[in-house]
Amino acid sequence: MTATIIFILAGTLAATVPLLLAAMGELVAEKSGMLNLGVEGMMAVGAAAGFVTVAVTGSHALGLIVGGVAALLLSGVFATLSIVFLANQVAAGLAIGILGLGVSAGIGKNYEGTTVTPMPKLSFGALGDVPVIGPALFSHDIMVYLAIAAAFAVWFVLQRTKLGLIIRAVGESPQSAHSLGYPVALIRTACVLFGGAMAGIGGAYLSIAYTPLWADGMVAGRGWIVVALVVFGTWIVPRVTLGAYLFGAISLLELSIQGLGLNVPSQLLSASPYIVTIIVLVVISRNPVLIQLNSPMSLGQTYRPNG
Amino acid sequence: MKLIRKTIKHLAAATIATAMIAGAASAADKLKIGFVYPSPVGDVGWAYQLDEGRKKLEAMFGDQIETVVVENVPEGPDAARIMNQMASTGAGMIMIGSFGYMNDGLKLASQKPDINFIHASGYKTAANFGNFQTRNYESAYVAGMAAGYASESNTLGVVAAYAIPEVVGIINTFTLGAQKTNPDITVKVVWLNSWFNPSKAQESAKSLIAQSADVIFSLYQDTPSVVSVAEEEGVYVVNTSSDMKKYAPTKLLASMTIDWGPHFVTQVKAALDGTFEGTAYWGGMADDAVGLASLSDDLSAEQKADIQSVMDEIAAGSFHPMTGPIIAQDGSEKIAAGESIDDGAMRGIDWLVAGVETKLPN
Amino acid sequence: MRNIYLEPRTERSAFAPFLVSMLAVCLTIIAGSGLFLIYGKSPIAGFHAIFIEPLQSSYGIGEILLKLGPFLLIAQGLAIGFRARVWNIGAEGQLIIGAILASVVAIRFDGSTSSLLLPGMVLAGALGGMGWAGIAAWLRTRYNANEILVTFMLSSIALQILYYLVTGPLRDPQGFNFPQSITFSAAATFPILIENTRVNASLIIALVVTVLAWVFMQRSLMGYKLVVGGLAPHAARYAGFGEKRAIWLALLIGGAAAGIAGVGEVAGPLGMLQRTVSPGYGFSAIIVAFLGGLHPIGIVFSSLLMALIHVGGDFARLSVGLPSAVTDIFQGLLLTFYLASSLLLTHRLRLRKPDAVLTAEAAE
Repeated sequence: MTATIIFILAGTLAATVPLLLAAMGELVAEKSGMLNLGVEGMMAVGAAAGFVTVAVTGSHALGLIVGGVAALLLSGVFATLSIVFLANQVAAGLAIGILGLGVSAGIGKNYEGTTVTPMPKLSFGALGDVPVIGPALFSHDIMVYLAIAAAFAVWFVLQRTKLGLIIRAVGESPQSAHSLGYPVALIRTACVLFGGAMAGIGGAYLSIAYTPLWADGMVAGRGWIVVALVVFGTWIVPRVTLGAYLFGAISLLELSIQGLGLNVPSQLLSASPYIVTIIVLVVISRNPVLIQLNSPMSLGQTYRPNG
Repeated sequence: MKLIRKTIKHLAAATIATAMIAGAASAADKLKIGFVYPSPVGDVGWAYQLDEGRKKLEAMFGDQIETVVVENVPEGPDAARIMNQMASTGAGMIMIGSFGYMNDGLKLASQKPDINFIHASGYKTAANFGNFQTRNYESAYVAGMAAGYASESNTLGVVAAYAIPEVVGIINTFTLGAQKTNPDITVKVVWLNSWFNPSKAQESAKSLIAQSADVIFSLYQDTPSVVSVAEEEGVYVVNTSSDMKKYAPTKLLASMTIDWGPHFVTQVKAALDGTFEGTAYWGGMADDAVGLASLSDDLSAEQKADIQSVMDEIAAGSFHPMTGPIIAQDGSEKIAAGESIDDGAMRGIDWLVAGVETKLPN
Repeated sequence: MRNIYLEPRTERSAFAPFLVSMLAVCLTIIAGSGLFLIYGKSPIAGFHAIFIEPLQSSYGIGEILLKLGPFLLIAQGLAIGFRARVWNIGAEGQLIIGAILASVVAIRFDGSTSSLLLPGMVLAGALGGMGWAGIAAWLRTRYNANEILVTFMLSSIALQILYYLVTGPLRDPQGFNFPQSITFSAAATFPILIENTRVNASLIIALVVTVLAWVFMQRSLMGYKLVVGGLAPHAARYAGFGEKRAIWLALLIGGAAAGIAGVGEVAGPLGMLQRTVSPGYGFSAIIVAFLGGLHPIGIVFSSLLMALIHVGGDFARLSVGLPSAVTDIFQGLLLTFYLASSLLLTHRLRLRKPDAVLTAEAAE
């Protein structure tokens, strides 16, 4: 039983990393009013580019960087389309999403089914030997902790800095932000690129640390879960973080439920993130005050500087 | 220098001429064989094993045949198009490598009686449509013996996709083999309910390890995800399809391998001779279609010899892995002492043997 | 660059949408050539395989017509909603639910030879798609929940429902536990229209829907009001057509069309319910709708193009050895370039006159 508890705790911490990283990126982009539905494609590109980098160079740090940069470039296409060319964000997001899935298959083509050594685990000395807590909390690679730090940093920037205030102002009303003299296009572009980089790092973590192999389609819908996650957390960093751990635990929970011999359809668990997200969305949307407080009011709307 | 150049020129001309004659001749009788795989060929796994069979054909028949491959063809409305295109571009034989291609393949076979089909893992046949499977339950039995020897916790874990009869049969013989060398063995299974999900397969392996399994069986997982996790976590692992030694150099207990070569060769030979018949092939150890590879050196020489002797018996036909008395999970006796299961019952098996703790999903 | 600027268009030329789509196709071909070179293939051979080869045989043409059906159906339905600015991006889920309900009818009445069976399945599929999209309409109109997010989540939920049903309640009891239903009887499948192809009668439904979409959008007052209602809710209310009605109408039409497309798959090339009901038609149709300029006639051309790319992409896998990813990349490129090019629909490029000329003009 203890072993199963450790498995769920430790497993959740690791399984959450790709979700949390990508969700923080998507959260920032959405806070600025940019709804990028291409997360699945960006994560896939990050996973493929990161994996190939590690397979060639052996450096996990470089893998994360290259994965992040590759997805950042893809998100640059999204930013160009929706900010410079004033394209519909839904369409632009789907465009880079499908492009990303195709490109990732192309990048990983010659590495199908190969593995790399996983990212090394940190050593915490005596802490790692504490029963239950040691193996559950202190048996991980550095990204497990950096992802939490990243969430904290995003919270800090959004809530406690001038930059965060500007991002939120742009997301609330690009027109007002513009008239206050803020560079709306620049802020939105930067937020989208940040979102791309984070999705790419999350994807790379998946292919070089969590499941250290490349197989076409291995992102397996996590990008869609990330989109749901940001809504589930009502665009609030601590809630999104909590949601990430909750969603991260779901697949592990399913395995444990199977182990206990309970008869819960796995599909119900797989669908649960989406079901609860719709419920949350309905709860916050029905109340005009709540929705105004939580969701970026200009989300998904094209900003025309002169119109 | 000049002379050499001249000679090369002549030689080249001569070669082209012969090639053209040969080409004209062989274009007519060269058998074009199409291969459709459900996943990318990659380094290991199901499609890789099918492609190894194709390579054996090329080595064996050389100029007599020509092979074309389309990999990563999802089961669905688009698979029929690939097959049809192969048929219309001169394929005389088509190998379709996934269960879900069955109905489209059968339909095409009835439209094109001149083209011979061989289908992996299905259950329907026609005059020009045969299917092929391997008796992996035979190699699973001996792999189970190895697992029984190696396990100290007496708990084995299986990561499986769907509870199709083939998988159920393999889990049964794996369990029986393990119980032969270690009567206290119990087996836990995780059903993935998906043909492909490397992350979930890996999580499943970890959850089984957490439930004290110390030998993990990666059953029909196309990627080495489970095998490499076992190496990382320091537990033994058994896998299907390909030799995966390189993914778990110290912890691989054995790989249950498949060799399609012999069957492909006889089928192509029949097609070339015009004697092709759509048969249901079920190749076992006797046909060299299944076997064990990379049996771990952590097993003693005695244990290895024991495993080998059972393999010899299976190959000789003197021992069937599903020989009674066999008790099912619910305690009922399914096969009486001295009797063994017949092929029909084995093909449709839908019960697990006692010792497997996990129930079948319903 | 300094001398080029964008000027909003005051009026649109009738040919502008067509030209923009052609520009996107040209740009895709240029970028595609680069892609072929990366894969070490000749662009000419690649494009020949994708755009010419499928047209050279009756089978190839049949396959294009087979793909045309779902693209046409879903995209026509979606475009009506998009023009009203109702963003239903969950057609994939509506297709799946439509396919499931039609399959339930087919399985329940297996063995029946009634000529009402197939129409019953189409009805069930349409209702299924409408019902699934209706959830989003209800949540939007009743609770103000964003329909983009809701339709999207409902798609993922629909997929899990499908997985559950094919591994359980709708699984073929004699099918050795493989995750698929029984094979539908002849009465539960669409008849083949052209011999030796897979083109079936569901294409006729798609064509009829196209005509209806054209009449509705271009000729009916309701269609006009719907578009106005989407563009400017206040103006619509003045015209007696509420925003809520527009949302309901847009989602129900889109859902019904996608649901029928789902019936076309299970009662067409598949002939059963299985895990893969659609190779992403619901998402590709969004691309088709945009590429067709959200216009019923434009969508006919964009559906044909998309069907050609899908079928040609498969042809190129065998004849040129291109990987399957090429189809995805082409779709992505096409939409990317279309979105970039369509700026020219609303704006025109102008050369800024040199300051000297401007001052001279001012002086006059």
